[in-house]
Amino acid sequence: MIPALALIAGVALGLLTEPHVPIGLQPYLPIMVVAALDAVFGGLRARFDGIFDAKVFVVSFIANVLVAGLIVFLGDKLGVGAQLSTGVVVVLGVRIFGNAAAIRRHVFRA
Amino acid sequence: MTTPGPPDGDHATPTTPDGHARRPTSHRPKLGAMSVSLLDNLMRNTLDEGYAQVAERRATEARTGRPGRSRAVSQALTAATLLLVGVIFGVAFRQTQQDAPASQHTRDALVHDVEQRSRESNELQRQAESLSTALADERDAALAQSQAGDATAHRLARLEAMSGLDAVSGPGIRVVLGDARARAHTDPVTGEPVVVPPDENGRILDRDIQSVVNALWSAGAEAVTVNGERLSTTTPIRAAGDAILVDLMPVGSPYRIEAIGDPATLLPNFVDSVAARRFETYVSTYGIEFQVERADRLSMRAATESVARHVDPLTDPSTTATSDPTPTAPFQTRDNADAPTPGVPQNSDTPAAGGGR
Repeated sequence: MIPALALIAGVALGLLTEPHVPIGLQPYLPIMVVAALDAVFGGLRARFDGIFDAKVFVVSFIANVLVAGLIVFLGDKLGVGAQLSTGVVVVLGVRIFGNAAAIRRHVFRA
Repeated sequence: MTTPGPPDGDHATPTTPDGHARRPTSHRPKLGAMSVSLLDNLMRNTLDEGYAQVAERRATEARTGRPGRSRAVSQALTAATLLLVGVIFGVAFRQTQQDAPASQHTRDALVHDVEQRSRESNELQRQAESLSTALADERDAALAQSQAGDATAHRLARLEAMSGLDAVSGPGIRVVLGDARARAHTDPVTGEPVVVPPDENGRILDRDIQSVVNALWSAGAEAVTVNGERLSTTTPIRAAGDAILVDLMPVGSPYRIEAIGDPATLLPNFVDSVAARRFETYVSTYGIEFQVERADRLSMRAATESVARHVDPLTDPSTTATSDPTPTAPFQTRDNADAPTPGVPQNSDTPAAGGGR
């Protein structure tokens, strides 16, 4: 309950305060969103599996976001930014789907 | 899916000495290729392995009796992270919204402008048409008051029909001229369907349309439209880049060129013309589309009024001899009568033209 409220509060905060995002960071925002989604779905699934752990969640979130951003940054520097972005999105997308399927099985038992 | 057992010590999955939960996939035959195992791993282990490891550790801790992290701290950590996640979502949403609409806004504004302007222009066009109808009615009423006026009205109606300034209808012919199309046929050797791209020479150019139109005029056409654009005496048919403009309006293939004229002579004269025969050849050579057919009833609207460059008062002796009841003598190219002209009988040498809708 509290985590859900925190998520909603965070979205509201982000929408209302419109924090200034540095230009250099803007290209990584979508990738960061996907990475954050992966962490959230992973945490949710772990909760349903009964093995949720706050530390793992926090660390996986921060690491996910940083590594995803770093990979894309490196890709940009190497001139393969678009391809690496696609790679990151595919990998994280597969994981999100897998976790969403597991959550679905837990929720609907189907 | 690798769903490790619940952390109550009831391990379903055996552990390796280094604490990693051994994956149930390990019994699968290794295909050797790194990429396969990578993809396999990716598809099967969607959950962060850390969760399983921590669950293991906590299970052992529970057995050895060491206390875990407090629940409140866990909750706070989770909530803080989720708050951060939410902020990222919100900011990203704002950002994309800000980025995309910059161009979207401009586009919407332009579309709005275009729509408004074309509405205005349509409205003005309607206004102009109704005004010129009223004008023509007034003029005809004035002319009908005298013998000389009647004669002038005849002449005027004929001139208007000839110059394309009057809506006309009547029998005629329709010529359809189209760019060469890609042809699909079956390869005789392989049996595979093959698409043959159209011949570059099979593109209809502005001068092709010009030559058809000129052939129609010389075959006796009295009124001609190209894709519905009525041609007046000065209407240009020209190319602008890849587009063909008729009266400055773009027209596209297939071009329907309609001509009103004496059905008995127009069709044979046109089919016999050099231009028509040339296009017949182009059909087989380049694959263009070229069809000529009789049309029993064609209706054409008036051409856009051209700006008169030179005007002369009508110097018909019968008009000038008598005192003219209309001080504003009709000029040759100043009128755009888009209305039936009551009281004006059909002129004999314009059998098809005249008698507007």
